[in-house]
Amino acid sequence: MSSEETNIGYSKKELPGSLGKIGFAILGIGLVVVIVSFFVDHTRAAFNNLIMLMFLTSVGVGGLFLIALEYIAGAVWSTPFRRVIEIITGIVILLPVIAVPVYLNLHDLFHWTHEEVVQGDYSLESKSGYLNVSFFTIRVVVFFALWILFYLLLRKNSLSQDVTGDQLLTKKNIRLSAVFMPVFAVTITFSSIDWIMSLEPHWFSTIFGVYYFSGTVLAALAAGTLAIIMLNEKGYLTKGLVKDHYYSLGALLFAFTNFWAYIAFSQFLLIWYANLPEETFWFLQKWEGSWMIISVGLIFVHFIVPYFGLLSQPSKMDPKRLKLMSIWILFAHWYDLYWLVMPTFSKEEAVFGWMEVAFPILTVGIVILAFVIISRKKNLIPVGDPKLKRGLDFRL
Amino acid sequence: MSTIDFTRELAVVEGRPPLREIDDIISKPLETRPDKKYYIALSITLTMLGIGAIALLLSFYYGTGLWGNNNPVGWGLPIVNFVFWVGIGHAGTLISAILFLLRQRWRNGIARFAEGMTIFAVMTAGIFPLIHVGRPWLAGYLLPYPNQHSIWVNFTSPLLWDVFAVSTYFTVSFVFWYVGLIPDFATLRDRTTNKIKKVIYSVTSLGWRHSNRHWQHYEMVYLILAGFATPLVLSVHTIVSFDFAVSIIPGWHTTIFPPYFVAGAVFSGFAMVQNVLIFIRKIFNYEHIITLDTLERMNKIMLLTGSLVGYAYAMEFFIAWYSGVQPEQFAFLNRAFGPYAWAYWIMVSCNVLFPQLFWIKKIRRHIPVMFVIAVLINVGMWFERFVITVTSLSRDYLPSSWAYYKPTLVDGAILLGSFGFFFTFLLLFTKTLPVVSIAEVKAVVEGSQPSHGEH
Repeated sequence: MSSEETNIGYSKKELPGSLGKIGFAILGIGLVVVIVSFFVDHTRAAFNNLIMLMFLTSVGVGGLFLIALEYIAGAVWSTPFRRVIEIITGIVILLPVIAVPVYLNLHDLFHWTHEEVVQGDYSLESKSGYLNVSFFTIRVVVFFALWILFYLLLRKNSLSQDVTGDQLLTKKNIRLSAVFMPVFAVTITFSSIDWIMSLEPHWFSTIFGVYYFSGTVLAALAAGTLAIIMLNEKGYLTKGLVKDHYYSLGALLFAFTNFWAYIAFSQFLLIWYANLPEETFWFLQKWEGSWMIISVGLIFVHFIVPYFGLLSQPSKMDPKRLKLMSIWILFAHWYDLYWLVMPTFSKEEAVFGWMEVAFPILTVGIVILAFVIISRKKNLIPVGDPKLKRGLDFRL
Repeated sequence: MSTIDFTRELAVVEGRPPLREIDDIISKPLETRPDKKYYIALSITLTMLGIGAIALLLSFYYGTGLWGNNNPVGWGLPIVNFVFWVGIGHAGTLISAILFLLRQRWRNGIARFAEGMTIFAVMTAGIFPLIHVGRPWLAGYLLPYPNQHSIWVNFTSPLLWDVFAVSTYFTVSFVFWYVGLIPDFATLRDRTTNKIKKVIYSVTSLGWRHSNRHWQHYEMVYLILAGFATPLVLSVHTIVSFDFAVSIIPGWHTTIFPPYFVAGAVFSGFAMVQNVLIFIRKIFNYEHIITLDTLERMNKIMLLTGSLVGYAYAMEFFIAWYSGVQPEQFAFLNRAFGPYAWAYWIMVSCNVLFPQLFWIKKIRRHIPVMFVIAVLINVGMWFERFVITVTSLSRDYLPSSWAYYKPTLVDGAILLGSFGFFFTFLLLFTKTLPVVSIAEVKAVVEGSQPSHGEH
């Protein structure tokens, strides 16, 4: 493939060693504080750990969705940087590890794990066939296994194509992706029900899986966009990436920002309008004390700022703006998860302290270090992909 | 495994026809007299329309008691048909606007036709809320204006939001459609030898001369209109779903309704577009313009949206059980095993099971089979609206007020008439306007796009 490589203007360059060191340092600081936080207040730490777990699930599994989407849609514009998303997606391997502390504190997080509470509560009793620790555990294990399996299979085909350039591998991955889509829909829905919705086991909403999905795709897309632009600016990708590619990333971010708002608004409006106490308490809880500020803030953080930040055509192409908005959207997704999860921990007032800072720091460390380790000795663009040339030729 | 070359883009139009040939073939139906088959088809649709018109006149004269609507099922077939037809309209905007924004070039061959279908479907849908109120001559009051009776509309009702959403949607769709037609009108103007046609095309083409400047403005307007049409199309069926979901009737009040209705609308719309296009491409010899690949892609979208609809059905069932709310659980068990179980299982098999056959490539590319599946999809989608509307109303909270709803012959005649209305417009459309965009098809012929390979 050497002639091809010169043709697409890519020469393999290892990431600087300093990046690994930075990632390691951030991870170290985060890890120490996180461990301390578990000793100080293990319940609060477990809630934060749950947010971190869901955030990394979003980035990892959302990335798998983006990869599968490219394959089945036959998209070419995203092919030149699909490898970057593949590397970020490697986080799915770590998810079981991150889930361990959450799982050990299941009793503090989930009301329905207390048998004495469930007994005598009609609503909880009736759903105990689904919400019980053993079935919950089975689901969690199966979902992790499925995500890791699809990640490994998709990655294997993509990597071996770097060497062989075999078109059949693309075909194989298209099939895998098609199978992955329904798997993704089911797993991401029930993960969100298990990990987030069941924090308030009396509450229910049919759209909840879609709501979490919309945030998932946004987070994965933002993480990908940020990494792609930073790598490309430092020359680790190829010169072929131009503003047309950036524009497409920006447009997708913009589209999913709107999609999230649409789903969030639909859920809110329908529950508010019908005004059934079985459903409204969930929103009312998020209206207590200072939670009101967090709830109103969500509209600005998750919708208004990225909406206006990405509305105009030039802003979707501007690497500076895109980097800023990617970081902002990642923050917004964390904010969203905080808004979903923490009211169960602290009902009266919103809480924010050093613990709520420590977990995001650890997350950043994990992502950077995982990226450095997984990308080692790999091409950062899929050099053998038959769609690569077309992808580089892509213009609006 | 088949031999697809991923290094090259699939041609949208087969066989690189010369541009002159595209002009000829697309304007041919407009320049030739309709044949006998056309008149037979037209007389069938006009008969259907006539039956519907008679049924409507009878309804106005004797009152809506001729319909099956009863207490508690006040929303019978009129609302079912309204939701069905609005749904049919959605594929048009999805193809013309959303696929345009997604830069799916294969849409160019089918966008004009689908957009036309949108307009006719929305017109058909519009009939039903008007006749459902029983006194369509009072419909003007739906629009809020300061009048001498001091009567105002209920702004908090989604039924009113429907009025705004559907009328805005119709307007924007129409403008979008017309803007797309302008360059084609100019082409037709330059071709025609008939003086009257020349005048009409000259007026409607707004002085278009295919100049570079015109194209620049055109592309800009087209992009902006596509941007407007996209949220509009989503909002229309979202608001239709609000009609049901803001209430507290079990089976109606569920938060997944908005995206689920939109997916269902696109699903049924695509099935209808596919059905009609299969005939169009055959009769007008457009098989190289609306290729088998295009049909296959449409079938893939049906597979996707059908699966989304299946996801929504499953979620509704699961959450009804999970919620532990008894009326909610009853509503869904009643759907599946109650007196309307027959309708429910028609819906599930047509909407969820049969479209799964599109996983198989052979079926996706087999025209008679895909035609049958798409017909079944539309049957299923009509029954979906029937199941939602009727089952929840016929058995609500109070068992003493339960009643079985049965549509009457007049209801059936009005439904038949709506198909007649829709297809009459469609037939007239095929002989008066180019059903495929001449300009857009030329843009996707191989070799017409600039290549950036060697810069």
